[in-house]
Amino acid sequence: MSGFFAQARVIARRDFKAVVATPTFLLFLLAPLFMIVMAVLGGTGASQAVSSAQDKVRIAAIASPDDAPLLQSTDADLRRLYPAEVRPPRLDVIPSHGKDDAQVAKALLAAANPDYAAVLHGPLNAPTILRESGSGAAYLSELAEQTLRNKQAGLAPGARLSRPVAEESDKASAGNAQARQVTGYGAVFAIFFLTLLLAGQAVGMLAEEKSNKVIEILAAAAPLESVFVGKLLGMFGVALLFVSFWIVLGGVGLAVLTGASGLPELHAAIGAPVFLLLCVAYFAMAFMLLGAIFLGVGAQASTMREIQMMSLPITIFQVAMFGLASKAAGQPGSATARFAEIFPFSSPFAMAARAANDAALWPHVAALLWQLLWVAITIWISAGLFRRGVLKSGPGLLSFLRRRKA
Amino acid sequence: MVRCRYHATTSEGMRSVDDDTPVWASNLVKHFGSATAVNGVSLSVPRGMIYGVLGPNGAGKTTTLRMLLGIIDPDSGSRRLLGHSSPREASQRVGYLPEERGLYPAMKAREAIAFMGALRGLDWAEGRRRAGDLMDSAGLGHAVDRKIRQMSKGMAQLVQLLGSIVHRPELIVLDEPFSGLDPVNQEHLESLIRGECARGATILFSTHVMSHAERLCERLAIIAGGKRRFEGTVDEARGVLPMQAQYIACNRSDEAARLLPPDARFDGRSWRFDVPDGGAEKLLMSLIEAGHGVAGLTMQRPGLHDAFVRIVGDARRDDAEAAR
Repeated sequence: MSGFFAQARVIARRDFKAVVATPTFLLFLLAPLFMIVMAVLGGTGASQAVSSAQDKVRIAAIASPDDAPLLQSTDADLRRLYPAEVRPPRLDVIPSHGKDDAQVAKALLAAANPDYAAVLHGPLNAPTILRESGSGAAYLSELAEQTLRNKQAGLAPGARLSRPVAEESDKASAGNAQARQVTGYGAVFAIFFLTLLLAGQAVGMLAEEKSNKVIEILAAAAPLESVFVGKLLGMFGVALLFVSFWIVLGGVGLAVLTGASGLPELHAAIGAPVFLLLCVAYFAMAFMLLGAIFLGVGAQASTMREIQMMSLPITIFQVAMFGLASKAAGQPGSATARFAEIFPFSSPFAMAARAANDAALWPHVAALLWQLLWVAITIWISAGLFRRGVLKSGPGLLSFLRRRKA
Repeated sequence: MVRCRYHATTSEGMRSVDDDTPVWASNLVKHFGSATAVNGVSLSVPRGMIYGVLGPNGAGKTTTLRMLLGIIDPDSGSRRLLGHSSPREASQRVGYLPEERGLYPAMKAREAIAFMGALRGLDWAEGRRRAGDLMDSAGLGHAVDRKIRQMSKGMAQLVQLLGSIVHRPELIVLDEPFSGLDPVNQEHLESLIRGECARGATILFSTHVMSHAERLCERLAIIAGGKRRFEGTVDEARGVLPMQAQYIACNRSDEAARLLPPDARFDGRSWRFDVPDGGAEKLLMSLIEAGHGVAGLTMQRPGLHDAFVRIVGDARRDDAEAAR
């Protein structure tokens, strides 16, 4: 057995060095930088377009001099409740002109700049809202209601009836159920994304050996299972280097730009440090499991075109596993979650979500052993298929069946 | 059990497997789809010997070697390699040069040799050190840090051969080791093989070039049509054919044909024929008495090439008859 792993280590070492010690690896390592630059440029452009549109579109309330300050302070209170992305258009409070307010409202709505989406006029207990489009009218209606209530309660602008005091509960450190689910989903997504990005490369890993005939040397010296394990470990080393580089770079970047508060807070039932360790372990398992499938299927291919054709079904399978695990993350403890945790190829993703929602440690030990078993089974099947399908070793399936029948 | 038509050993059956027989195989059979690549081949290679597996192209030599090494499993039959029924268990004591050469083009020569040694259990650092020594002795000392892709085909082939012996294996299996090499490198490879044998290694190599086999092999097997057709020493192989005579008559050569054996062939100057079972004396007497005289007479043992052609030719004829 030590020989098995020693040979796997030799192959892993060769593969790791062959990938890392090339200029193309630098391109591979920095590829996310291009993605980030493009995302930032795209995001900035989109946000500028949205903010420019938001500046142009407004809502208006024609109010008496008594009601105007109250409307403005109520608007400020209500506006705070909205997230920035869905905040209502800016409110312009326009002094009332008595009987002409309806005409003024119509004129405002018809004006091109500023572009009013809705205009409120009339008394607060029976306001009229002219609207053009969007949700501005609903907001104006709610604003009138609330302002009237404040007025009837005799509140001065900016005054409040209550002063809520926030106290931390015992479960605050682990976060509430929603925060834990968000953490779980985040883990599922991160593992899926990294696996999708990195494990897919295993599909062409035996192509080099097949094209330059080194496979004959490897097959003569080591069991094919050992060759497959070595190839996977080599690629996993590359993946770890990649992930570590970006975690360190991202962590340092966030800390420098925003201070320690910029780092995301983890709400995990099992505790943040254990959760992180489990995420690393589940990433390793997801990589090995899906990598073994990619490697096994890719090993059957004889041309690059075949390799590309074969990649698609596995990627679809990978996305399906992500979908299953995502559903499990959203429904902790459900039958779907249990299935996703047990099904070997979705198990690493679903168990990472479970770590965020459940404090028990033993299911993770069992799951890691279960996944390790399936890594071994997948490699064994992949190597067996390669031995029979490519090396043509042993009796063919038909003659084997015929012999069994006889 | 496939019976050899030309079996020069004392017994038809294989010897029992012991330490003196690093390679042993019995009735190996391998089909690829409907084609039979190897059909009941048995081999027994004594320790410390240079053993040749000869055969025409497509005879099943490579498939036989790959089965012996455990790269592929036979459909039926059994094999033992250095005492192990599972050849893989002996892989650290075996060196192998495949017919289709394979090296990583981006690797440096020294690393490539050390890598092949490491696969067979040799420490990387020791592998690198030995690689340097081996390349020096092979005249490639200047290229230890050259990448494989920057080497000529012959140099790369030598590097691969050095990689197959860097861990000092007990058994070295070479599949068509001379193909693609120029005469100088062929000579170099021959001396390298002799050196490994002198070190105590057993060498098993396949070839269809008879001159190498004739110079190197102590024993050999001839495979044709997936079956073993001969097993024995080079002399025993040559003994398959009778002595060859070359006769030059003093005059009227064409009339001498009536006295010569029926298979005699005239090449315009001399007659060539197999020496009759009873010897050439009676024939010579009758030629002299008939007035043809003897201007020249040469008698020689046939070469391995002729024996090979005869054995393979007979095998093909037998197979064709059997197919009918």
